[in-house]
Amino acid sequence: MTDAATTDRWIRWLNTAQLVLAGVLIMAPTVWMVLSSFKPSFEVTAYPPTLIFSPTLDNYVELTRTTPFLSYALNSLIVTVGSTALGLMFGIPAAFAVSWTRISWPAILTLAARMAPGTLFLLPWYVMFRQVGMIGSYTALILSHAVITLPIVIWVLLPSFDGIPRSVFEAAQVDGCSVTRILWRIALPLVASGVAVSAILAFVFSWNYFLFALVLSNGDTKTLIAAAFNFIGEGSTQWGALMAAATLIALPPLVLAALVQRWLVSGLTLGAVKG
Amino acid sequence: MSDTAATLTQDRQKLEMAALSAPAVIFTVAMIAFPVVYTIWLGFQNFSSTGKQSFAGLANYSKLVSDYEFWHGLWVTIALYVLSLVLQLVFGVWLALVLFHAKRLPGIVRSLFISPFMMPPVVAGMMWLVILDPSLGAANYILQSFGLPPSDWLASPSLVIPTVALIDSWQWTPYVALIVLGGLQSLPPSVYEAAQIDGASPFRTFRRITLPLLLPTIVTAAILRSVDLLRFFDIIYITTQGGPGNASNTLNIYGFRVGFEFFNIGYASALMLTLTAIVFGAVLAFNRLRGAVAW
Repeated sequence: MTDAATTDRWIRWLNTAQLVLAGVLIMAPTVWMVLSSFKPSFEVTAYPPTLIFSPTLDNYVELTRTTPFLSYALNSLIVTVGSTALGLMFGIPAAFAVSWTRISWPAILTLAARMAPGTLFLLPWYVMFRQVGMIGSYTALILSHAVITLPIVIWVLLPSFDGIPRSVFEAAQVDGCSVTRILWRIALPLVASGVAVSAILAFVFSWNYFLFALVLSNGDTKTLIAAAFNFIGEGSTQWGALMAAATLIALPPLVLAALVQRWLVSGLTLGAVKG
Repeated sequence: MSDTAATLTQDRQKLEMAALSAPAVIFTVAMIAFPVVYTIWLGFQNFSSTGKQSFAGLANYSKLVSDYEFWHGLWVTIALYVLSLVLQLVFGVWLALVLFHAKRLPGIVRSLFISPFMMPPVVAGMMWLVILDPSLGAANYILQSFGLPPSDWLASPSLVIPTVALIDSWQWTPYVALIVLGGLQSLPPSVYEAAQIDGASPFRTFRRITLPLLLPTIVTAAILRSVDLLRFFDIIYITTQGGPGNASNTLNIYGFRVGFEFFNIGYASALMLTLTAIVFGAVLAFNRLRGAVAW
C-alpha cells in the first residue's frame, strides 16, 4: 500500500471519529432528557444514574394530573398559530412589494425587532396593554408574538420572490393583471415551498419564545413555555415530570424542523447566507 | 395620450405596492417604533412605589452611572458574550469542517444536528438543570468516573457564567456550523486544487486559504449570534434567575427584574435603552469588520 493511501485512510478515519464525537456531544443531553422522562420516579434521581430501566408513562400521567398541562398546550397553540397567521398575512404582501420595488426599508424596519432586547418593547407594551385591560388576553399575546414571526416570514420569502424571473410578471402586466392579482394568482403559487418554510420557522420561533408570555399572559392564557417555570418550581425531586414536560414542549418544533431541515439554513440566517 | 396612460398605470402600481407593504409597516410602527419612542419617554419618568408617575429628567441615567448592579450586569453580559461567542465560533468552524468532509449527510443526521437550536432555549435550560445538578446530576457522575472532582456548575458563583456559556454553546454551535458549512460549500474548488498542486499541508491550506476566504461568513455568524448573546435571557431566567446571588445577572435579566419585579418602569427603560445601544453598536462594528474582510 502506498503512503498516500495510508494517510488518506487515516484522515478519513479521523474525520469519522470527529463526526461521531460531535454527534454524541450534540445528542446526549436530549437523549438523557427523553430517557429520564420515561424513568420510574425512584430511578430518575438514582445516583449513580441508571441507563437500564423499565420504561413507564407515570411521569406523563403525573404531569397531566397535577398541572393544567393540556390547557397550557392549547394556549401555546392558539398564540403560535395566531401569530404565525398574522405574520403570513402581513409578511407575504410586504415581501412581494419589497422584492418587486427594491425598496427595502419596510423589511429592514421589521428586523429591528430581531435585534433589540425583547424587554425594550415589553416595558411600553405592559404599560399600554394594562391601560386598556388587555394583559392576559390572547390578543396581546398574539400581537406580541407576531413581532417575532413577521420578520421571519418577510426575510425567508424575499429570496424566493427575488428568484421569480421578472418576465413572468411583465407578461402578466401586459395582460392587464393588477399587482395584487399577480401576487395571489401568479407569484404565490411559485413560492409555495418558501411560504411553507417561512410558516414553519415562524411557528417554531413563536412557540419557543419565552419573554413576552412571561409578562403578558395570566393564569388562564399562560403558554407552555411560560409555564415551564412553574414545573421547575414544583421542587427538584419532580425531575421525571419536569423532563416529561421538557420533552413534550420540545416535540412540536423538533418535528416541524425535521420536515424542513433541508431549507433551514438560508431561512435561519434571514438570507445572509445562501445555503 | 399614451404617455399619461403609462404614468397613470405606474402611479396606480406604486399605490398598489404601498398598499401591499402597508399592513406590515403599520403593524411594525404600532408595535415597535411607537413603543420604543414611548420607552425613551418612560426613561425620563419616575415611578413611585404607589404607581405615581412624575418627570425625572436625567435622574434615571445618572442613577445608572452610579448603580453598582448596572456595571456588574454589564460585566456579566460582556463576559458571557465573549466567552460564548468564542466557543461557538471556534467549535462551529470545527464542526463545519467535519461536516464538510463528511460530504453527503443523510437528512436524518442533519435533523439531529439542528435539533439543539430548534428546541426552545427554555427546554435546553430545563434539561441542563437536571444534568448539571451538583449532587445527583449525570455530569458530575461522568466527571467522577474519570477521577475528576465534581463541580457545583450553576450553583457556583465563579462557575455559573462559563456553565451558562457552555449550555448556550451546546445549543447554538450547530447553528454557527451550518452557516459556516454554507460558506465552505460556496468556495470555489479551484483554490484547493491549486494549493494541493503546490503541496501545501492540510493545516496550511486551512490557515492560509480556507480561513481567510471564510472570514466574511464567520463574521456573519458572529453578527447573528451577537444579537442573541448580548440580550441573553431565557436560559439564565430558567436555570439561575441571575444567581447565585447576582453572579449571572445580565443586563437583560437585571432590566427585566427592575421593570417587572420592582415595577420601576422608568429605570428599567433607561437600562433597556442602554442595552439596545450596546447591541446596535456591536452589530455596526461587526458590519464594518465584514466590509474589511470581504473579498
